[in-house]
Amino acid sequence: MTYVAIKGGAQAIEGSKLAYEYLRSRQGVNSLPLDTSTIENQLRLLHSRVISEGGVYHPKLASLAIKQAQGDTLESAFALRAYRSTMPRLAETEALDTSRMRITRRISSAFKDIPGGQMLGATTDYHLRLMRMELLDESAEAFMAISRSWFEGLDVAQIPDSFPKVLDGLRQQGLLAETPQQPQQDQPFDITREPLIFPVPRSAALATMTRSEQGSLLALAYSNMRGYGDVHPTVAELRVGFVPVMLPHPISGKPMEIGEVEITECEVVAMYESDELGGKPSFTLGYGACFGHNEVKAISMAILDRSLQKGMQGTPSNPSEDPEFVLLHIDGIDSMGFCTHYKMPHYVTFQSDMDRLRATQNKHAAEDQKS
Amino acid sequence: MTREEWVSALTALPEECLTELVKGFPADWNVQPTSLPQVGLGMMKMKESAFNESFYLGEFPLASCTVTVTTESGDRAEGGALVMDDRMERAEQLALCDAVLAGRLPGWQKVEALLHEGSARREQINLERKAMLARTKVDFSLLEDVGGEDA
Repeated sequence: MTYVAIKGGAQAIEGSKLAYEYLRSRQGVNSLPLDTSTIENQLRLLHSRVISEGGVYHPKLASLAIKQAQGDTLESAFALRAYRSTMPRLAETEALDTSRMRITRRISSAFKDIPGGQMLGATTDYHLRLMRMELLDESAEAFMAISRSWFEGLDVAQIPDSFPKVLDGLRQQGLLAETPQQPQQDQPFDITREPLIFPVPRSAALATMTRSEQGSLLALAYSNMRGYGDVHPTVAELRVGFVPVMLPHPISGKPMEIGEVEITECEVVAMYESDELGGKPSFTLGYGACFGHNEVKAISMAILDRSLQKGMQGTPSNPSEDPEFVLLHIDGIDSMGFCTHYKMPHYVTFQSDMDRLRATQNKHAAEDQKS
Repeated sequence: MTREEWVSALTALPEECLTELVKGFPADWNVQPTSLPQVGLGMMKMKESAFNESFYLGEFPLASCTVTVTTESGDRAEGGALVMDDRMERAEQLALCDAVLAGRLPGWQKVEALLHEGSARREQINLERKAMLARTKVDFSLLEDVGGEDA
């Protein structure tokens, strides 16, 4: 069997591209194209999602990807990944942590009185999920007035530059295992350069989850929450903010800030376990972090990190503990690609399917006649 | 402000500010790259806080440039910059400013003035973020005062 060479689609494909563009512009004669800054600011959570799933922190190109994909998160992330695949790797940072994070939101569901206090920041957590009809007819003047009056009556001097970690407090109380001074591996697994061949280290799992598709990650974490697992998490701390990215200055060699990256980070405390070696029982932990403001993703990742730790130690007892099941099914680009390829011509394979079915039907009919 | 903070301050300003400043440097300066200017990606390594293990969070655009600037009077200075951007000219502009300021080449005062503007803008951004926290700080003691207590 061979592939059948066909032609005649080029004109239709060109027309399809034009139709795609036409739909973008049909708003009316007075409509204006979206600018990337509007997307970044007014659709910031969509933007965060794409920047995270694309795996490259490029706010402007993430906006452009959303614009050209007309809001499709999977296509947008695909465009970002395609961009990154054309670029050389020039440098790698030292291992950064969030101790110097310029925080915009910080909460804990474990304690109400956390050192430095809880700050809700920008969240929909306490919104009524009712339509705000006034936004249908929002004036430019009222819109701009929101930021103009932002500082009125505020005492920002009381706010420190950085905040301690809630986990550190739990560690001081002896409720968590001590963190190893030396990490288990010096060099983390690089999923952009190495295929996932199981078993993989935890760093591969974290890197895969951080750029995974949010819905997929949530679905698997939700299975654990609902009962196919036993993580039972408590959010020790959820923080959103900007982490300065440091690299050595080309002349002085000292660390310099080359930019900053918005990150959402979540640490969950899970049920305690007895130490098999007879040590003191302590709470277990799960960790999640991703580019942008993306809380559902960070929490889901933290839950799955904890469940995968269990699965990596022994035999997984449910899907969310199985590294292969989780890590091979959460990438949006992979799964979207497999799904959408079914739209492509399968004329030859389907012809073969039909031939086999007809042969089977004929055989079946012949056997019926015999009996 | 240390040399390592200059890029952060200068990139806080609208891009035209830096472009205009660099355009104002004498055209007869000899500016030579001392390494291949590059545009690409950097990889962000994170240390997670549960077990202090490192992992890769993702990539970011990165442009780098180092230059040697020789003025018409023979003064010479070396400058360099790394910036989270994928435009070579941005890194070149920053490297040039780095050289001018580090070597106190003619016009360094203008770079320094822009640096102060950038630093003020950076501080303004920090204040906006702190305002977000100040406005949304939870005062649990009020709940206790009225006899309420969260679960």
